[in-house]
Amino acid sequence: MFDQVAAKPNRIRVCIIGGGGTGAAVAYDLSLRGFSVMLLERGELTSGTTGRHHGQLHSGARYAVGDRAIARECMEEALVLRRIVPDAIEYNGGVFVAIDDEEADRAPSFIAACLESGIPAREVPVAEARSWEPAINPVARRTVWVPDGSFDAFRLPLSFFAAARDLGATIRPFTEAVGLEVSGGRARAVVAWAAGDSSEERIECDYVVSASGAWAGAVGALAGLDVPITPAPGTLVAVRSRVSDMVLSRLSLPGDGDIIVPQRGLSIIGTTQRVALDPDCLIPHDDDTAFLLARADELAPGFSSNAIHAVWSAARPLSGRAIDDGRNLSRDFMVLDHSADGVAGMATLTGGKATVLRAMAEKAADRVCSEFGIDEPCRTRNFVLPSWRDWYAEAGL
Amino acid sequence: MNRASMIPLVLCVRSGASFASFRLETEPQRTVLDLLERLRADDERVPAYRHSCHHGSCGTCGAVISGLPSLMCLTTAADLSAPRPRRPGGPAVDPERDSGGAVIVTLEPLARMSVVSGIAVRPGPVFAGIPRDASYLAAADDSGRSPLPPDPAGARVGQGNVGSGHEGDSWRPIGRARFEACIECGLCVAACPVSLPFIGPAALAAVNRERQKRPERAAAMLAIAAAPDGVEPCGRFLACSRVCPQAVYPGKHIQLLRNVLADGQR
Ligand SMILES: Cc1cc2nc3c(=O)[nH]c(=O)nc-3n(C[C@H](O)[C@H](O)[C@H](O)COP(=O)(O)OP(=O)(O)OC[C@H]3O[C@@H](n4cnc5c(N)ncnc54)[C@H](O)[C@@H]3O)c2cc1C
Ligand code: SF4
Ligand code: FES
Repeated sequence: MFDQVAAKPNRIRVCIIGGGGTGAAVAYDLSLRGFSVMLLERGELTSGTTGRHHGQLHSGARYAVGDRAIARECMEEALVLRRIVPDAIEYNGGVFVAIDDEEADRAPSFIAACLESGIPAREVPVAEARSWEPAINPVARRTVWVPDGSFDAFRLPLSFFAAARDLGATIRPFTEAVGLEVSGGRARAVVAWAAGDSSEERIECDYVVSASGAWAGAVGALAGLDVPITPAPGTLVAVRSRVSDMVLSRLSLPGDGDIIVPQRGLSIIGTTQRVALDPDCLIPHDDDTAFLLARADELAPGFSSNAIHAVWSAARPLSGRAIDDGRNLSRDFMVLDHSADGVAGMATLTGGKATVLRAMAEKAADRVCSEFGIDEPCRTRNFVLPSWRDWYAEAGL
Repeated sequence: MNRASMIPLVLCVRSGASFASFRLETEPQRTVLDLLERLRADDERVPAYRHSCHHGSCGTCGAVISGLPSLMCLTTAADLSAPRPRRPGGPAVDPERDSGGAVIVTLEPLARMSVVSGIAVRPGPVFAGIPRDASYLAAADDSGRSPLPPDPAGARVGQGNVGSGHEGDSWRPIGRARFEACIECGLCVAACPVSLPFIGPAALAAVNRERQKRPERAAAMLAIAAAPDGVEPCGRFLACSRVCPQAVYPGKHIQLLRNVLADGQR
């Protein structure tokens, strides 16, 4: 039981800015290593990109051809999450589908790349894949099984928040960081404003972790930093039918509209990608909807005949500066230490994927530990997390 | 989008004792949540609100929208400019309009919950009665499809076969798995008129689902239902079933629990 997990307190105060999955996992990891954690989120927890993502628990297969290391990390993290937050994951596996000859020709190199990345992909006859999921287009040329799954974009990170709070972290939703005090070349305090309050408050701390995703540029600017993050919004469309239990993907190079993820009674097709200046207020472009539905029909004919449930957008926090549509930017995550930019005691943790939140947090927490010479190993793989329900049931009325 | 199809709205958002009002014109397919997000991005002082998934899955964005507990991410401008009930189970009536013809939309926090700020609430009462270990996964109907293949990767986490039952405290069905339909949004709790101590419709729906899925837990679940704050206070108003965005029909689950309890007494 999680109740028995304990940490050795070290009294070092870390303020985390951003309450998405990344901030949740950092709060948990640092709390387990004994830090005194305060997390600020300007809205409800996970109201940035995290709650709105596609919900695919990535086996890494999608990334294997392009980057074995990212793929391997996804596979390992997907397994860790299945063990520590089992209730927030609909694990049913996935199928990569080659619809045309070009995609079919990719199958051998795709499978080889997966195997090299530790992902047990295997080709199965199309008839067998269609016996699992008859929604797969009968014209499919080849089909490959992979260990993909779906997860609840909101509930999974909430379990991390519940765990962090159980270990003593202070998690403050509806509290925005509006200023960062830097003096003597070091971050000293965060100025925060809680919704509804008439005044701001000053939160002194020994270290600041900006886990603000696509907002990392704006949060960095509070400390006078130029953080190279480009918001890249993508659109998703949910229809009212569970067309499959397995995640269905196109056996093409990663592109737009090539994944269908089931979730409860819905199926979600995504995504598109653009580059934006501001991650706030992402109203989907109407032509994205028609495009995505047409792409979904190629994978699962008839998809678009279901009623549309919702259309929405979320912003990827892509590392780097945009040059074109953003596809050239790295998909990996980064921990940016700002001491070289004249602000010691602050790091930005951004990029990555929701599936690797725990690994991202481990890297950032390692960074904080080395800053303070704390010799505590990461233990976030070890424990099954409390239920997300605990978060609200005990949030105090 | 041509201008003729734009819908003029006045959004009146509860902020403490008063309302903050915003006029806007919108395409019919935009949701109340889209509109709040747009106002906030335009630097308007919008009262605080909850949101996360934007597609009716997280359950955070409930509000009383012009009298009816609803999800803001699934309620569109088109819905609000058409006839709509003003209370659970009420008749659909034309929307109220101001002198300029704009549809007046009021947004208020869900009842029974304490307010953080604006229309953002703490949903504690929704979760308080749900057994903390009630499973959230359920068997997905296979509709005649073949069983899913084994998972060589999952063997490493004790889930070699898709659905290998228990894993620590959690539970998964054998075979295809999916989440429960209930998104724990609390619209049912907010709509329920019962004033006696009552664990509420969302909790009782979860209790009945747990009983149905896991026979070994049936006795414990029935004990929760039989307690004084269990099924007894329910007055069969069915407001819960009417407002539920996920067709969980909590009222039906309460009735099923009653039936089983009555059978047990005979
Ligand atoms: C369309 C799309 C689909 C995706 N699909 C998947 C998928 O299927 N699987 C997967 O693994 N990953 C997916 N991702 C990636 C994944 O969503 C992100 O990598 C992840 O959610 C980022 O989490 P985060 O915590 O770093 O950022 P966020 O969730 O954006 O968190 C940052 C938080 O900081 C807050 N904030 C900003 N400024 C301030 C301030 N001044 N003060 C306080 N708080 C502030 C914001 O409100 C926000 O909540 C997808 C991304 C997109 C865009
Ligand atoms: S039963 Fe329906 S209304 Fe009640 S919490 Fe669940 S989804 Fe929401
Ligand atoms: S934002 Fe998740 S249900 Fe509306």
